[in-house]
Amino acid sequence: MDLNIRIAGAAGQGVETTGDLLVETFAGQAVHCFSTQTYMSRIRGGLNWYDIRIADRELFSGRGKADLLVALNEDTLNWLRADVNDGGLVLFNGADNDGVVAIEFESVAKEVGGSAIMANTVAAGAVVALLGHDFTGLESGLRERFGRKGDEVVDANIACARKGAELVADHVGKLTGPESSDAPTAICSGNEAIGLAAATAGVKFVTSYPMTPSTGVITFLANVADRYGIVVEQAEDEIAAVNMICGATYAGVPAMTTTSGGGFALMVEGLALAGMLELPIYIFLGQRPGPATGLPTRTAQQDLLFAVHAGHGEFPRAVFAPGTPQQCYDLTRHALEIAHEYQTPVILMSDQFLADVRKNCRGLDTSYRPIDRHIVQEPPEDYLRYTVTESGVSPRAIPGSKALVVVDSDEHAEDGHITDHLEVRVRLQDKRMRKLQGLLSDVLPPDWYGPTEAEHVLIAWGSTYGPCREAVDLINASGGSAAMLHFSQVWPLNVDGIRRMLGGRKRITAVECNQTGQFASLLRMVGAVSECELLTRYDGMPFAAEEIARRIAP
Amino acid sequence: MIEKPFFDSDIAWCPGCGNFSILRTLDKTVEEAGIDRKQLVLVSGIGQAAKLPHYTQANVFNGLHGRAVPAAVGIKLANHELEVVITSGDGDMYGEGGNHLLHNIRRNVGVKAFVHNNMVYGLTKGQASPTSEIGFKTKLQVHGVMSLPFNPLAIAIAEQCSFVARSFAGDPKHLQEMMVAALQHKGGFALLDILQPCPTYNRVNSFKWYRDRVRKIGEEHDPYDRQQALDLAFRWGDEIPLGLIYKHDRPTFESQLEVFKKGALVAQYRQ
Ligand SMILES: Cc1ncc(C[n+]2csc(CCOP(=O)(O)OP(=O)(O)O)c2C)c(N)n1
Ligand code: SF4
Ligand SMILES: [Mg+2]
Repeated sequence: MDLNIRIAGAAGQGVETTGDLLVETFAGQAVHCFSTQTYMSRIRGGLNWYDIRIADRELFSGRGKADLLVALNEDTLNWLRADVNDGGLVLFNGADNDGVVAIEFESVAKEVGGSAIMANTVAAGAVVALLGHDFTGLESGLRERFGRKGDEVVDANIACARKGAELVADHVGKLTGPESSDAPTAICSGNEAIGLAAATAGVKFVTSYPMTPSTGVITFLANVADRYGIVVEQAEDEIAAVNMICGATYAGVPAMTTTSGGGFALMVEGLALAGMLELPIYIFLGQRPGPATGLPTRTAQQDLLFAVHAGHGEFPRAVFAPGTPQQCYDLTRHALEIAHEYQTPVILMSDQFLADVRKNCRGLDTSYRPIDRHIVQEPPEDYLRYTVTESGVSPRAIPGSKALVVVDSDEHAEDGHITDHLEVRVRLQDKRMRKLQGLLSDVLPPDWYGPTEAEHVLIAWGSTYGPCREAVDLINASGGSAAMLHFSQVWPLNVDGIRRMLGGRKRITAVECNQTGQFASLLRMVGAVSECELLTRYDGMPFAAEEIARRIAP
Repeated sequence: MIEKPFFDSDIAWCPGCGNFSILRTLDKTVEEAGIDRKQLVLVSGIGQAAKLPHYTQANVFNGLHGRAVPAAVGIKLANHELEVVITSGDGDMYGEGGNHLLHNIRRNVGVKAFVHNNMVYGLTKGQASPTSEIGFKTKLQVHGVMSLPFNPLAIAIAEQCSFVARSFAGDPKHLQEMMVAALQHKGGFALLDILQPCPTYNRVNSFKWYRDRVRKIGEEHDPYDRQQALDLAFRWGDEIPLGLIYKHDRPTFESQLEVFKKGALVAQYRQ
């Protein structure tokens, strides 16, 4: 049982509200869900759709085609009709149209609820009824969503949903939805998971300049700031943002910024500053297709080599690329811990696809559990900020304590003061770079999915986790022999470990949402693979599992 | 073998530079005001002026060229119990970092910005700065500067900066008065523009040139009068006013945040 519902309309028609309402309703009934959003960079008028895939097993990917299309206007009907599976249904907001179930959502809403605004509630009611699902979930969802606006609004919405259900009564049974299972009833998006992990890990200062698709993270944090005691401030530009968090981490609080490729480009000098000053900053990089402004609302994995190499000079860093909302949560906390343990910047990469993915998540811990900042509380009087140590990690004190803390973006001696001394330079540069050894020893091993003896290994990183994982299932179900090796940490890389996993395979294919196979290049650069095939997509849309399985066929 | 240069602890300023007086005065101010140096953070960008923090005793954040202000603001927000003072050059603060200055005057976080305004880029060996005057010739501006100079005071007043003052490195007594006033100011962002002769690369605006022109603002001036203040800010040439030019009372950024009522962010962190 595996069904894809697509709600489509113009921006401003409530596509997102309907989609959210439906995901929450299904997840609330312990149905496995996976939702994705596709939209144009326009506030009103563009074409948007919200896919909700539901099934009786855990889902990791979207699907290209829909089983049920709810077209809220004529454009979306014309545009998306061809992508409805055989045996699928179309609900169309309008007068009769061949082969579709025409329901005038807006006039129905006006009639029943008193306002055309509730058209999407009529649609939600119709979808839930059509799939033969319990109605109480939807009703309580509506109560939760509109409760603040008063009983009248809640009642009107419930009436609209019921009317929607009535209007599809003749079609009930044509599509069957999955039963409830052991699916977690909580849901989470990639961006929410990152925000929640940062707040609970003790990030105290967040500053960003808005840029899609990263904005959801700082918005989430702004909304929980009072609860967790966080200062959230919109910066005047990305250069300010990164320098502000350098200042804040120097003064002792975990701090982060969020951005996308263009903004990250502006932060690059500040990233190098954090490398030189040995500050544990966390940068969230939500990718979208470039170059330049590119496709602001679409998805891509084009900034990997940029993130790994960004910054002038040489300094250690760790770069993470979670593949699921759960990993977004776990790795944000982990990345903050690593940054503080090694006193060096970390970058966590996501993209529009993962930012918007909503999926059942086993209750992410909302309790406040601040990470260890590895700060020396009582430094000696003769404290030196950059004492040379074997690990490269120097005891870290913060200003306001018993010692003076001196940091300098110029090359500096152990006391932090500017130096021109070439020997000191080498000693301090070596000290900083020795931290790479520690980072390497803490590298997260890539995840293996599929039979250990698989002949064909799909290499994935970041958000391609889900589509690749499902592609492996499809390939193996049709007699192939495939597995996935997914990297949620893309820098540094454990070369020997990777070689061991990939040795002796018949085929290796890197699956990436970019044109040049950036992760494959990185693997070649460090000598982890000598050759591999590429399966790329860079039109701004995420991979779908069937697509990978089809395109990868021998 | 190359000879290893070694001038770690030497002060990298030219003899006769106005920076010496600023350094001595700042040191004296901190000493006489009884400021605990462990609670003092000196923040700078890059330039000759920006080296000042290395020549005294304090916590130091010597960051990137142009980025002293955001770093200082980040420090102050993480721990608003610290006294955070920026000492940086005119290129750093008005050129490369101009956008930060504009927006942090609006933000009104309580950091104090002391700008060593020598009307030239010293460290990079004598190019025009945003405050260089029209016609000022350098190796790069071979026909002389053509752009109008940036007027930091007028801009700050236009933005209702909470504290705007000007002093002169050649008048340490006055400079100390202004530094004290800025440090005592509790109303938010403070801008102190310090006229700083650079005998090496700015032969025009010398100590003598300034001494012939600077005039202390009289008692009669009301710094809360914006029109008067603007009028003073636009005076340049035969007469250059020195003193507390403008003040504006409004809530600081820190005072508006609920989370700061429980103490500094860093003090709230347990772990
Ligand atoms: C991003 C960047 N651009 C350029 C420079 C080179 N640079 C260093 S200081 C400086 C100008 C300094 O002028 P000012 O701030 O007036 O300081 P002064 O040396 O005059 O005291 C320049 C252009 C740099 N360090 N970083
Ligand atoms: S170049 Fe000018 S500002 Fe720099 S130290 Fe020399 S005199 Fe002073
Ligand atoms: Mg200068």
